Amino acid sequence: METNQPSAQDASSSQVRVLTVDDSASMRALLRAALTSSGFEVEQAEDGQEALEWLATNEVDVVLTDINMPRLDGFGLIEKLRESALHAERPILVLTTESSDEKKMRAKNAGATGWIVKPFDAAKLTAALRRVAH
Amino acid sequence: MNDDDIQQIFFVECEEALEATEMGLDACKAGTHDSETINAIFRGVHSIKGGAGAFGHTALASYTHCFENLLGDIREDKVALTPQLTDLLLLACDLLRNHVEAARGSGDIPDDTALMEKLEAARSGGVETIETSTGEITGDSIGDDLDLDLDLDALLDDLTGDAGATSEPQAEDEAPSWLVHLRPHAAALDNGGEPLLWLRELASLGGICEACGQADIPGLDGFDTDQGYFAWTFRMPGSVAREDVAEIFDFAGEDCGLSYDNDPLPPLKLRADTPAARSNAAKEASKAEPATNAPVDKAKDIRTAAPAPEASPASTASPASTGAGIAPPAASAVAPDKAETNSEGQAQESKPQPAATSNSANSNPATQSVRIDLAKLDRLIDGVGELVIAQAMLAQRLENENFAHIEELGLLDTLIRDIQEHAMAFRAQPISSVFGRVPRLLRELGSNTGKHVKLEVFGEGTELDKTVIERLSEPMTHLIRNAVDHGIEGPEDRKAAGKNPEGTLTLAAEQKAGRVVIHIKDDGRGINREKVLAKAIENGIVSEDANLSDDEICQLIFAPGFSTAAEVTSVSGRGVGMDVVKSNVRDLGGRITIESVEGEGTTFSLALPLTLAISDGMIVQSGDLSLVVPLTHVIESLRPSPEDLKGVGTQRTMLNVRGRFVPVISLGAVTGAKGWIDDPCKGVVVLVETEGHGQAALMVDLITDQRQFVIKSLDANFRTVDGVAGATILGNGQVSLIVDVDHMVRAAVSPSSLAIAA
Repeated sequence: METNQPSAQDASSSQVRVLTVDDSASMRALLRAALTSSGFEVEQAEDGQEALEWLATNEVDVVLTDINMPRLDGFGLIEKLRESALHAERPILVLTTESSDEKKMRAKNAGATGWIVKPFDAAKLTAALRRVAH
Repeated sequence: MNDDDIQQIFFVECEEALEATEMGLDACKAGTHDSETINAIFRGVHSIKGGAGAFGHTALASYTHCFENLLGDIREDKVALTPQLTDLLLLACDLLRNHVEAARGSGDIPDDTALMEKLEAARSGGVETIETSTGEITGDSIGDDLDLDLDLDALLDDLTGDAGATSEPQAEDEAPSWLVHLRPHAAALDNGGEPLLWLRELASLGGICEACGQADIPGLDGFDTDQGYFAWTFRMPGSVAREDVAEIFDFAGEDCGLSYDNDPLPPLKLRADTPAARSNAAKEASKAEPATNAPVDKAKDIRTAAPAPEASPASTASPASTGAGIAPPAASAVAPDKAETNSEGQAQESKPQPAATSNSANSNPATQSVRIDLAKLDRLIDGVGELVIAQAMLAQRLENENFAHIEELGLLDTLIRDIQEHAMAFRAQPISSVFGRVPRLLRELGSNTGKHVKLEVFGEGTELDKTVIERLSEPMTHLIRNAVDHGIEGPEDRKAAGKNPEGTLTLAAEQKAGRVVIHIKDDGRGINREKVLAKAIENGIVSEDANLSDDEICQLIFAPGFSTAAEVTSVSGRGVGMDVVKSNVRDLGGRITIESVEGEGTTFSLALPLTLAISDGMIVQSGDLSLVVPLTHVIESLRPSPEDLKGVGTQRTMLNVRGRFVPVISLGAVTGAKGWIDDPCKGVVVLVETEGHGQAALMVDLITDQRQFVIKSLDANFRTVDGVAGATILGNGQVSLIVDVDHMVRAAVSPSSLAIAA
């Protein structure tokens, strides 16, 4: 996992810190580029398990996770995070190509805050992240 | 990283996904239909689709969508996977490859209409053997699949001014219009909802706001800025289905009250009523508690003072006043206590330590890790390296003063060694990250060569420096390709030789005497030494009358420009390879050796250092200079007898090493040292191996030590000096130069470039 220093264009003091969880390297790179250029501080994990381990000791404002991932998928990640006191109220957005109602309900029941379908529009994604990050 | 770079990552992923898909389909063709195989195929196509959409490759995206639909049906057993269908899928996979090529810009977008029709037909039972009944069912489900709409995306369209996404105006008045009432609760805002977006979404569906219920708005003193007080009523056109509206509120759930037509308005739900609100209030109250001694009193004060509109911002931010007027005062009085007992209870639960604090980080007992910037870590390791040197200097100084055996020195030594070991461990990673990629490589090689190879792995938990791990995968890949391509025979040949038709590749790693040794072993045909020798002679690598030991013949395959593959295959055998492997390994400070038994197999052993920061070196003395010769270059050291030496011309001396002549280079002469021993028979000769210039014998006075050293760059502290790889500090505090063996030998054997600095 790497941390990108935010670009200087956003000088506002309250920078939103996002953890993106996606097993696809290109998607991670896309997200990093889109979010850092909008002034977010971006942390990345390659799957649910890595995200979970990292979140045990680190804080972010929002978690943005894919669904289909090896080791621990998005549903599992959300469920596990909701179990811990630290992340019970953490905003978690799902970003995935899946769009079936059944999957959406599963995510909602697991405790997801919102659902965004890939391919994402950068402006929309950043708006959603800002909104849920308070 | 720009968009192009990111696209490149995507194409690499495509390549992997295509391979996985092909691999899966091959397995299907061979009769494996289990869900894991089907899943792998599905995932491959699915991942290409995801990226194709993201990077705007529309043709690729729509083709993969079609392909994925069929695979999804197969996965869910809606369509039976017949051999005919497998063939069709293989065709589809080939076309997918063309599509990816086109997206990459190296080809035209292929004509996929015919095949897409076939794929669609297969979904509805078009492939002969599938019963029509299943086909119809799947046909229906397609529609459902494609109709699904998005949540946040749709909601956010309006916000970001995405004009194109607003839905078409609803003009049909045939169906009667209907009403929807909604009331966003406080939790809607708390949980990240955006009531404004819901309203806009309703409007974009053609809804018209008819009423806004304001009856519940409290007086200013009871006003909570995060609470929703309005109840909205929208009139929706009859053409809009109730489900479409309900879907907007999919994720709002209980955070927004909904009712339709003549139902009563959803009731007002105040934030104090929801559990989330309560915990929120408690959290804020506990946060605020240390700042104000009596939050309850303060809240009372504010209320009795009946705040004027210009009330200070602090009063709105104060948690107690937020709840005032809604929750009874008692509730806010309880809150801080409750929060405290809560967090304390948590801490005690997880760790029964006497000094339990209310720090919530303590409540997670799972293994903890900290991520550190690599540069910071390297600075630490560098510092530890310096510490080791300083300690050695101190020890030497004390020894000179006859304080060699003081107790504290021994303690310091132990501690520093401990610290060094731990610091090195920070950079260590298990080798499984390299081994883990091998199964895929073997499958890929298997499909290219038709050789099926079983993998056995030992010691994958062995740890190595991160940098070594990263740079190891290239030579490893090369060696494995070679083992499969040249080492392991085809199934027929293996059967004829009485072997299992399936070859076995063994990877083993172990830590041995401060190094990590990796064995790559195949059970193939072994190295045919006659063939290797003949080839080497043919390529002019050795002379015809060379008298080489079996071992030396094996080493020839590392010579530049050597290749024994009779035919150049797609996998390996273009004559580059083993020499690159060898130099890669040597760059890592490692060594590579071969053991081979003809007919039984070959083992390559890579001995690698645990870290790159510290190397092994031989400390030699030449006149008044101490120099370090990196051990990776050293083959052996010997003291020649006069008859082994042969003068060539006036300047050169050659040394006969078991029948081969190597040039003798005096380190003292090239470095300009004073008072060095001119006679090799009185000094020592260190036989070294170089890259591109064969072997050479370095003549020195004596070998004083063999030890680990920390490399200090000369460029950074002084300037580049030819023939010198860097410097290090010896135990006695003296700076010693590290010999750049390759450069020094090259300069010495080609007299035109005698430009070595002292």
